Formats: sequence, C-alpha cells, structure tokens
Amino acid sequence: MHEMSVAVEVCRLAEERLSPAELPQLIAVGLDVGDDAGLEPDNLLFCLEALLAAPPFHKARPEMTRCTGDVLRVTYLELDDDRQDD
Amino acid sequence: MTVRTIELREPVMARNNEIAETVRRRLAAAGVPALNLVSSPGSGKTLLLERTLAALGDELRMAVVTGDVQTQNDADRLARHTTRLVQAVVTGGACHLDAKQVDSALEAIDLAATDLLFVENVGNLVCPASWDLGEDAKVVLFSVTEGEDKPLKYPKVFRQARYAVLTKIDLLPYVPFDAEQAIGFAREVNPDLQFFRTSAQTGEGLETWFDFLRQLTRRPVPV
Repeated sequence: MHEMSVAVEVCRLAEERLSPAELPQLIAVGLDVGDDAGLEPDNLLFCLEALLAAPPFHKARPEMTRCTGDVLRVTYLELDDDRQDD
Repeated sequence: MTVRTIELREPVMARNNEIAETVRRRLAAAGVPALNLVSSPGSGKTLLLERTLAALGDELRMAVVTGDVQTQNDADRLARHTTRLVQAVVTGGACHLDAKQVDSALEAIDLAATDLLFVENVGNLVCPASWDLGEDAKVVLFSVTEGEDKPLKYPKVFRQARYAVLTKIDLLPYVPFDAEQAIGFAREVNPDLQFFRTSAQTGEGLETWFDFLRQLTRRPVPV
C-alpha cells in the first residue's frame, strides 16, 4: 500500500542526483527490491512507471531486480546523453 | 544514442532513516521514551491510549502524536482525556506515518516537560513496518476478534516490535479465538516479544500495562 510513497522517494533520489538538464535524459532507474521489503513489486512498478513518465522525467523506465532480504535501494541511473527533451 | 550509467546503490529509505535518527537523538537528549503503536484498524490503539491518559495523566506527562488517513477524530477522542497537547497528523491518503511528520509534530511539543511520547500510527499492519519514526520501540496491538495467525500473516511488523498487546480480552468468551495459539504464533516470529493482555472496556490487564509505562519512564529503553 505504501508503494507510491516509495516510488516518490525513488524519484526524489533521482532528482537529487541529476541536474535539471539531465532529468529528461533519464531512461532507466535500477532498483533492488528484497522479497522481505514489504512491497508488492508489480504495484511498485506501476507507481514508478506513472511517475517516471511525467515531468521532470521523460519516459524513463524502472528496472527492478528481485533479491532476498529486506533490501530496497536504487542501484543505478541510466541516461541517454543524446536524448532531446521533446 | 550515448548511454551513461551512474552507479548508486542508495537505500530508498535513507532520508527517512536519517530524519528518524534525528528524532531519536532529540528524544534521547530530552530523556523521553517513545512508543510507536501499530495495529490493523480497529484493534484498539486509541481506546488503550484514552484509558492510559485518563489513568496516568496525574502521574506522567504524556504527549501523543496520532496519525490518521483522514479526520482528527482520534486526536479529538484523546484530547478529552488530557489537558496536554495531542498532535494530529492527517496523512491525506498515506497509509503510514513517516519520520518527517513526527519530527514536525514534535515542534509543538515541549519535550522538557514530557515524560513519555506515544505515536499512534495509521491503522495498518503492513506499511508502518517499513518506516522508522525515531521511536524507542514499536508496540504491536491485535485483538481477539482478529485471527490467531495475524503474526504469521504480518511477520515484519511483529518481528520489529518489542512489545505486543492482545486487546479486547473481555470478548474471549464470545469469539473462537485461542489466545495461547496467537501468542505462540507471535513468538514464532519474534521470541523476544513481551506480551500484555488487556481489555480497555473492563480494565483487565491495564494495571500491568500502566506499571510497564511507569517503569519505562524511569529507565532507558533497551535497544
């Protein structure tokens, strides 16, 4: 149920790490999600897809890796430096 | 297309946890133990707090931060039993409190004149387990009108809790609930859980709970 809160926090982390010019260039956000993290993976993906499709992002996609334990972390941000904000 | 990857490995909850540590240090500096009450909706968090405020109000200076998705109904109920400030946090749809909300709520509380802080979380056994609020301990409540297997269904919150309160025990004669089995399931998940059995309606078991709170204000909460 708190997947949207987590998704918002993932987006906040991305915004914190990237410059305003880089945000529309973001194409993927890597995530590790543990099976004991208290999250429903499909729900989290749904929330992230919605948030990462909207400004300041531009059609970025979440890439989730399931793992054991209660780990929940952003593992990488992937950018396309040639992408123009349309 | 020129793809560039920025490696992060950053915990998603890092910011919340930082704020929670700030809250914890602030409470520790003021010598105020804090209990985070979690349960499913309707387990009796508010009624237990009402009874606690009414019974111990002359002995302990208790402050309450209470969270609800909508309305300040719980805060209004609690305020009837204390002259002290009850801080209401309306989450506006969120299914849990977070550390920032508690940090903000503490701004209005005079910690130097407080012996004990209760945080009444949003009724939910899933989401509050993922959010550290800076409390000393979580207290998980569940009632005899719920299933005995609640601890097995929601292990994370029972694993994180240090104390458990089995509520509404006055209803035991009327419901098919095996209290020993329920406590056994809880201890399967967390063998160190300290249990209380209470009825806020009849008062049964409340004196043990009150004694625990009295003791809590006299010594540091074990980590």
